[in-house]
Amino acid sequence: MPPLASVPAESQRPRGKGRPRTVETAAPSLVELLNLVRTEAATTRQELERHSDLGRAVVADRLTLLGELGLVDESELGTATGGRAPRLVRFAARRATILVATLDQTAIGVGVADLSGNLLTEHHEAADLTTPPAALTDRLAALFRWSLERHAAPQGVWGLSLSVPGAVQTGAEGAFLTTTPPIMPAWDGFPLVETLSRRFGVPVWLRSSVETMTMGELHAGAGLGQRTMLFMKVGRRIGAGIVCDGQLFRGAQGAAGLIGSLPVTSGGQSGTLDALAGSDMIQREGLAAAHDGRSAILADIQRRGGEITAIEVAQAAQMGDAASVAILATSGHLIGQVVATLANALNPDLIVLSGSLVQTNDILLAAVREAVYGASHPLVTRDLRIIRSQMGSSAGLVGAARVASEALFAPAFLKEWVMQGRPLAHPAFVDYLGQLARTAPPDPAPPLPPALGPGPSLRPGKEPLS
Amino acid sequence: MTISGLGPHGERAAPPERVSLLPDDRAAAQEAAWRVAVVLHTVDSDWAKQQLAGMVGIFGDCGAAVIDVVDCGFSPERQVAALDRLIAQRPDAILSLPVANEEVAAAHARVAAAGITLVLLDNAPTGLLPGKHYTALVSADNFGLGKIAAAGLSAHLAQGAAVGVLGFAADFFATNEREIAFTKWLQTNRADLDLHVARFDRMDEAAEVSKRMVAEHPALAGLFVVWDTPAMAVSDWLRHAGRSLPIATVDLGEAAAIDMARGGSTCCIAAQQPYQQGIAAAQTVILSLLARPVPAWIALPGISVTRDTVVESFQKVWRQPAPKEVLRLLGLSG
Repeated sequence: MPPLASVPAESQRPRGKGRPRTVETAAPSLVELLNLVRTEAATTRQELERHSDLGRAVVADRLTLLGELGLVDESELGTATGGRAPRLVRFAARRATILVATLDQTAIGVGVADLSGNLLTEHHEAADLTTPPAALTDRLAALFRWSLERHAAPQGVWGLSLSVPGAVQTGAEGAFLTTTPPIMPAWDGFPLVETLSRRFGVPVWLRSSVETMTMGELHAGAGLGQRTMLFMKVGRRIGAGIVCDGQLFRGAQGAAGLIGSLPVTSGGQSGTLDALAGSDMIQREGLAAAHDGRSAILADIQRRGGEITAIEVAQAAQMGDAASVAILATSGHLIGQVVATLANALNPDLIVLSGSLVQTNDILLAAVREAVYGASHPLVTRDLRIIRSQMGSSAGLVGAARVASEALFAPAFLKEWVMQGRPLAHPAFVDYLGQLARTAPPDPAPPLPPALGPGPSLRPGKEPLS
Repeated sequence: MTISGLGPHGERAAPPERVSLLPDDRAAAQEAAWRVAVVLHTVDSDWAKQQLAGMVGIFGDCGAAVIDVVDCGFSPERQVAALDRLIAQRPDAILSLPVANEEVAAAHARVAAAGITLVLLDNAPTGLLPGKHYTALVSADNFGLGKIAAAGLSAHLAQGAAVGVLGFAADFFATNEREIAFTKWLQTNRADLDLHVARFDRMDEAAEVSKRMVAEHPALAGLFVVWDTPAMAVSDWLRHAGRSLPIATVDLGEAAAIDMARGGSTCCIAAQQPYQQGIAAAQTVILSLLARPVPAWIALPGISVTRDTVVESFQKVWRQPAPKEVLRLLGLSG
């Protein structure tokens, strides 16, 4: 593949007298063709002509240019159906990478994805979200650098997408974030987006964990091919991700699905769904059951110096501990009542439950199923499947990668960078980086090389993770 | 003992007790008379031998025939070929240790697509999901092993010392976790240290890579090698070169135990429990074949081993007496 510099700048290309410059006319067709190839809606020149209504010569010309820019690859042959085997047109998804991360209350995850949003590697570790944001951001950056040593791409990194615990407001943001929206009270005032943009030199996107997990489940999990899906994340907070017509529904402010604040009643007590069914309640009730002798298993864990969290209660329930089963069933019924309301409003094909509590036992899932089937219109439940996610925290990473991938190749954004062959040359992003360099304090971390060489290497000195 | 790492998809670990077999399970398995294949990265290491001993015993108890034990020689190509060959033989289950990430992911997915129960050991290639492509992953708490090794080596390092980390270049869950945990522990608890990292592609390169590292950083005062076999290769060349450098590693192999007892370079070992892990893996296979729910990630804690505890640790890990050489070197036998 020729280096990018060998593609002549548009102003230097020879052109016929009176013909408009290709840059003035080619970008829309390049955008259309690239996205047809990227989404695999078309995989041969013939299919591209058919789907785009562009003539053979124009398709050939644009594909040549996209090939020179390194964005498509035509080296592979397809299956012959009577004549010569067609040449396949493939999106060069490995040309660059996307960095992704999830921030949860008790864990962080990092990954590297290709430009199609497929994860190439991932790592998860325990973390405390009450750690100062600067320290946690340093840890993320260190893990990103470590991951990139194993998964370098010819064009380096093109974007960074984060999944965060709270809702992320929609609104004034452009194609990428230029300031950090409010995420969590403890992080107010910390320039997360600006820090990461400056440190890695790439555009940054943020979404709530429920949104990214929903996206991940939709594109790589049980939701694959589904048009209407409800995704439920059950943890300390309980949230819903809503998929309508195959698209994530974010709502007017990016706050769709914040069902944890809905009022519910349980055993004569009233409170929010988060408070009466979330993991704090499960932990609290589990501790009480250990103390008052109702749960021998939980009491035994304590006697051995172990900590009782909601996970231990869920595991005890799975082992048949009656008190823990009752706690999980109470939580499941309350969640099920709210899910039933949503199911009756949306009529989904599929409801997916996710979160550590759901992964570790069957009681919660069974209780939710019972409540939903008992409280829904027969037509709503006729073909409805209620299942547990198989993706774990990977869903958040995959979903974050899809957020960045869709943003990078959104027609309005892509149009402005496609002729340069890389989004980092987008005029608005170049301006933004310049602005950051003028206003932000110097970054103590070493800058990331644009493209890392393959294979292991000795790294001089001490880096954050190294 | 707690598990400090998270699973390949962020899962919380389940203890091996979660996959215990009841008499009914064994009876049902004996009646089914299943055929099981085992695919390992190598069958030569002490770790692999112990793992096999643990699992084969359980399969025997359950009337399951082990129809093949494949030695992939750390080669992704060999593993892909082996899996495709086994798919054609239609065993009821395959227990596999994926030797790489992307290169072997599709072949493992083909096992699941063929309707063969798949249980993974130590590594889950990115994109493969529990419940869909495999039933469970059984591994050590590799993050915990990295922390044990760091804490052990730290005691031998002076203020401001230079430390070498010898990692494995393959993208492999277990060794990645150890390396990440080792460096994280030192950066958190010994920020004074100066870390240098290098990785080897093949085991026979480990000594050469460590030679280069020592040449480039003559002040190196300690080394972490991600498992015992390459660590012993490094220890051998250090001894021949007349160098003394404390080494921390993972896995209590026989050679490492002898080196430690001799007072050689090996100062700290974070030991896995391969025999127990083999038992847990085989039990997971049986429960999966019985269609019983199994946790996505079953993890066994590591054991911190020093010269003072090497004999009892060896007995605990290997379920047999420590080698005579170890006992002799420690003055425990004649």
